[in-house]
Amino acid sequence: MEAIRNALDFSDFPRIDRMVALAVVLLLVTFPLFPHSAFAMATMIQFLMFSLYGMGWNTIGGYGGQVDLGKAQYVGIGAYTTTVCLLRWDIPFWVSMPLGACLSIGWSFIIGYPLFQLKGHYFAIATIATSLVLKDIFEVWKFVGAARGLGILPFKYQTPDFLRLIFKEDVYYYYTIFGLFIIGLLYMNWFRKSRLGFQLRSIKDNEEVARSLGINVHWAKIKTYAIATAFVSVVGSFHAVYVKNIEPEDTMSLDISILIALMAMLGGAGSLWGPIIGAGVLIPLKSYLKEWLGAAAGLVGIDLILYGLIIMIISAFEPRGLWGIVEKIRRRKRI
Amino acid sequence: MDILLGSIASGILLGMVLSLVALGLTVIFGLMDIVNFAHGEFLMIGMYTGLLTAQATGLDPLLTLPLAAGIGFLLGVLCYGGFVKYLLRGPMIAQLLGTFGLMLVLRNIALLFFGSEDRALHHGLLVGKSFDVGMGIIISATKLAVAVLAVLSFVGVWLLMNRTKLGKALTATALNRQGARYMGIPTERMNALAWGIGGATVTIAGALIVNFWSVNPYVGLIFTMIAFTVVALGGFGSVPGAFFAGLVVGFIMEIPGFWDFFAITFNISWMDAVPMTSFKYTWIYVSYFVIMLISPRGLFGWKQ
Repeated sequence: MEAIRNALDFSDFPRIDRMVALAVVLLLVTFPLFPHSAFAMATMIQFLMFSLYGMGWNTIGGYGGQVDLGKAQYVGIGAYTTTVCLLRWDIPFWVSMPLGACLSIGWSFIIGYPLFQLKGHYFAIATIATSLVLKDIFEVWKFVGAARGLGILPFKYQTPDFLRLIFKEDVYYYYTIFGLFIIGLLYMNWFRKSRLGFQLRSIKDNEEVARSLGINVHWAKIKTYAIATAFVSVVGSFHAVYVKNIEPEDTMSLDISILIALMAMLGGAGSLWGPIIGAGVLIPLKSYLKEWLGAAAGLVGIDLILYGLIIMIISAFEPRGLWGIVEKIRRRKRI
Repeated sequence: MDILLGSIASGILLGMVLSLVALGLTVIFGLMDIVNFAHGEFLMIGMYTGLLTAQATGLDPLLTLPLAAGIGFLLGVLCYGGFVKYLLRGPMIAQLLGTFGLMLVLRNIALLFFGSEDRALHHGLLVGKSFDVGMGIIISATKLAVAVLAVLSFVGVWLLMNRTKLGKALTATALNRQGARYMGIPTERMNALAWGIGGATVTIAGALIVNFWSVNPYVGLIFTMIAFTVVALGGFGSVPGAFFAGLVVGFIMEIPGFWDFFAITFNISWMDAVPMTSFKYTWIYVSYFVIMLISPRGLFGWKQ
């Protein structure tokens, strides 16, 4: 009960934050009622997915300060577990999603133990390496469809199928991921006030001091890594049933890992709203740039050039993200 | 037996080029603790420079090296002055993601201009010629020339770093930035120089590699990872370390060859069944991981 009360308690934020958050949630609930294109709907689902990914990354990368660039492997594990379970044994989504999360967490313990003996750049590159190894294995593994991946054929099932989560209309997917989003947000609100959350912040500030205060630094990092992994894996499972066609290249490539880290960093790592702001800015920008410049004007890659330039400008001139700008303005007003 | 010797020979030759690829990364890291994700993209630009000038002028691609070096030097200095200088003030994650953004930009500019198809060189003085050393080892003349030129460039940079006043200033900046500034060394300019050297060496390596490797805009990532592995093994910031580690990683790249050798010589059937060529690059990632765990400083590293 205590935990639930803590999760629902947003009272330490200023009033304006709570009002804006409430307005955004109301807007998200009512979004499908407004007239919208299919493309806008897909973008909104992407936004919710990536803000969840970002929240997961934010635990280890934002609060803990460990730059993890290998999250895509857990997207892959989640997505592949769900798809394989559905295709081979007809196991519904709500069973295979926790299963995938358990597999991901198990794997995260196995590689997390050696990984967290490294620090800084070495750690970041090592996470990339582990992710790419897993991708290479999935690309030749016949059981999971090798490089061509696996596809769910939606017409085989009677839609709407709430157990297997196979729908024709995107609205159902929208509300499913919206539910996960609210749960994730409440969990993160609890997490930042939990014992582990405080331990992580002290590790980020100074690892030696944290150790001298009696925090088991290595174990705290591994635990948080597992939490981040669970987030990513659950959304990965959702990705599988939503996109219905998964391959190693678009679930486990380095680009996905970087995109996940980027959400949190661009919005403001280590704050509750950061990943949501980051995803809310980046995802629409990315998909509409691609739509207007890539597909319509026929300039392949120009959307990614602009995208890369934005990343460069933000990381060079405002490394604390968009939330950092807001906080700077607030501090100035107070003084 | 000839598979084994052939693999060893090509591993050594490849390794010499790879150490040149990693040289720039290790110099930059030693000087300012920043990992450059766009390193492979610099190499890709070097490859396109070599390819396009060779095709446009009809010269042998090996003669285009000075041009590639010049472009690489300019690119490195521009990247430092216009971008990385500001990046250095931020936290580590901003540095990592910032150079990733640079990588996206460079890769997609290449995609916009050159298209996504594979391109390869088909002409040149040495293409198609090869030496039969005996015992079944056949070394193609391009690979040998490339390896020799790579070693020459490497030695050149080593001499610059260790035998000139400029190199001494670079080393001093790497050891103690504050102290170097008090001694009147322009550390900002040294940083820019390090990026210039880094860019020049890696584009030279690219212009060499294009002689036996086809190029497309996506080729950069794998070379970035190879360079990271080489630098990790040799020790971040160590120049001689990069050379020996390059040779070792050259051997790691030849693991499929060794695998075939064992499978055929000892007639082990399960080894045949493993599609080892698709794991060609996996061993690089695995070895990076293992090297970092066993010895975080690498062979010759001095930076913690």
